Amino acid sequence: MDETELQDLLKTYNQKLEEAKVLNLQSWVLNLQCFEALQKQKSKSKLRSLMNFKIVAVILGILWFLFLGYLLFYSMEIQKIFFLVSVAAIIVFTFIAIVIYMHQIIMIHKINNTESVLEAQEKLAQLKLSTLNITRFLFLQAPFYCTFWWSFNFIENSPKSFWFISFPIALIFTFASIWLFKSISIKNIHKKWFKILFNSTEWTSLIKANNFFEEINSFKRNI
Amino acid sequence: MSNRKEQEKLLQMINQNQGIIFKICNSYCHNKNEREDLAQEIIYQLLKSAHSFNEQYKFSTWMYRVALNVAISFYRKNKTKELIPFAESRSDRQDYNDHSVELEDNISILQGFINELKELDKALMILYLETRSYKEISEILGITETNVATKINRIKNSLKQKFSEINQ
Repeated sequence: MDETELQDLLKTYNQKLEEAKVLNLQSWVLNLQCFEALQKQKSKSKLRSLMNFKIVAVILGILWFLFLGYLLFYSMEIQKIFFLVSVAAIIVFTFIAIVIYMHQIIMIHKINNTESVLEAQEKLAQLKLSTLNITRFLFLQAPFYCTFWWSFNFIENSPKSFWFISFPIALIFTFASIWLFKSISIKNIHKKWFKILFNSTEWTSLIKANNFFEEINSFKRNI
Repeated sequence: MSNRKEQEKLLQMINQNQGIIFKICNSYCHNKNEREDLAQEIIYQLLKSAHSFNEQYKFSTWMYRVALNVAISFYRKNKTKELIPFAESRSDRQDYNDHSVELEDNISILQGFINELKELDKALMILYLETRSYKEISEILGITETNVATKINRIKNSLKQKFSEINQ
């Protein structure tokens, strides 16, 4: 096939694409009321649902933060030092997570369909991948859920239980959370433990975001 | 968009360029329901983004940006593998002469080829089919004009190769 034949074929294909009209579009476009009606409907957009998910997470995070703050405030005794330190640490993690989620909500607001295709799509893919970072960070708080109920009384009265059960469990959680913090990354996305850890929907959408991110990069690099 | 008059003016402009919407819907979605959904979403997003229309760009450039972004963002996941060809089935085209049948076959092959392209290459191809200038394509996609030229050549060459293989 030579260049002229190809050009003719592309021209015909282009006409066919335009001829295969989307039903009802004519009346749709001409009717402003349809737009107003649609505005009232719940948007189907994936971005909107992602934002709604993050807003719910922020609200729950704030409630959790307030609850922990309340516990902390009414437990200010030196005998409860393990409880106080553990709850304080969890409060810090919760606070940071709330701030990051709020930042992501702002990012979603800033994604603009009128930007160039590459710019907008890159931001979208990055947003998806950034959820991985917050997840790995939140794993770091796991050891504190093993220590909040410790007390000096417990250590003195049941040293065996403490040194042979509670302490090793906390230690295992510490190592595991540090390992997860270091290992949860895009480069490990294809590993089996990663797939087990993240449920299939999250994993699939992460894979898609990552593949698309790579596609964007190679598209930009002219390769 | 501040008032109803402006919205109506915008709708008129969208109406004048509705071919863009048909092309993108037909390229990114392969069943009727998805096409209609995408068309609605594109129009909704166009009207919602109206305030950001910058008159230094052509209206069609702005419209392509929005429509392609919507198509790629919201419909990448919904992509169905079933491809409905433009051409009718062989039994429906008994009246066609040999040339028409060959053309329809080539169109189907081309449609299959474009359908297999990656999302961004597909966007590039739609713009190329529209005979948009390399400058406008680069503004819509956000890559350099040289990059646009290289990619178009590459796609065209692989198309030619595909057709030569079939004709052999």
